[in-house]
Amino acid sequence: MALLLRTVARQGLCLSRSQFGVLYRHVVPMGTTANEEMNKFWAKNTRLNRPVSPHISIYKWSIPMMMSISHRGTGVALSSGISAFALAALVLPESYPYYLDLIHSMTFGPQFLAFSKFALAFPVAYHTFNGIRHLAWDLGKGFKIPEVYRSGYIVVALTVLTSIGLAAM
Amino acid sequence: MAALVTISSVCYRGVRPLLFRSSSLIRPLAVQKDRDCPYLISAKIHATPSNYAYSGSKAASLHWTGERILSIALLGLAPVAYYYPGPAVDYSLAAALTLHGHWGLGQIVTDYIHGDFKIKMANAGLFLLSTVTFAGLCYFNYHDVGICKAVALLWSK
Repeated sequence: MALLLRTVARQGLCLSRSQFGVLYRHVVPMGTTANEEMNKFWAKNTRLNRPVSPHISIYKWSIPMMMSISHRGTGVALSSGISAFALAALVLPESYPYYLDLIHSMTFGPQFLAFSKFALAFPVAYHTFNGIRHLAWDLGKGFKIPEVYRSGYIVVALTVLTSIGLAAM
Repeated sequence: MAALVTISSVCYRGVRPLLFRSSSLIRPLAVQKDRDCPYLISAKIHATPSNYAYSGSKAASLHWTGERILSIALLGLAPVAYYYPGPAVDYSLAAALTLHGHWGLGQIVTDYIHGDFKIKMANAGLFLLSTVTFAGLCYFNYHDVGICKAVALLWSK
């Protein structure tokens, strides 16, 4: 580090001129793309059978982290549900009203129905509201850490309220 | 490909020559006059070489934009489905939901699956799943009550 600073000082540099903050004397462009570098990383490390360092098992969980993976999780769950529904539509012999009546004849009371409506509405509402939060980020808005937390809390609150509202309908 | 080219320090001449990428910036590595700096202090950066003619594809960024537009369209479809249920909305929902899910799961494949063969297999499986999903939803819309009516019936009890 001292060597670096001495080299820089030797040039008679005025730091205010290095607008990019580049203190290195020589900057070398790489011959590969970022994608190629990523693939090389995985190829080398799987070939050498190296263990992965602990990361999600040791890093402290934060609200934004949990909300982010929940966004992905609800997305996968909803997509799987839609695919399962589509597959059932193709495979099952009877029509939708028939199976719906079948389920209703088996239900264990109005609380069960209200709960299942809540259980269905919750991931849809969460994914939708958090999706809007993502779109705001894509516009460049709301990246400051307090804003991230605030928008996160708003999404969770809206999700709970909407799910309760939909379950009550 | 591996030929290293030394670009003189930004600090030396300021920023503007770098922006114009003039070839006079390129100097052979041999010219090295430091005496108290026996080894080269260099930083490797991912920069497009100055002789690179723009022939890159915009596919990735267009895909990104398409994903956002589809998300907004899907967001708009929800109230339309509530107030104007019918076959037009049913098929639009089938298409939008399937494609949104397909692209979303595609990002998951990109994030977690590595290795050329595994990536290819995962994407093939995903394509099959999305095709079956869309077919099933269209079948449901045509031969059965349709998505909007199905949700209405489910909620009516």
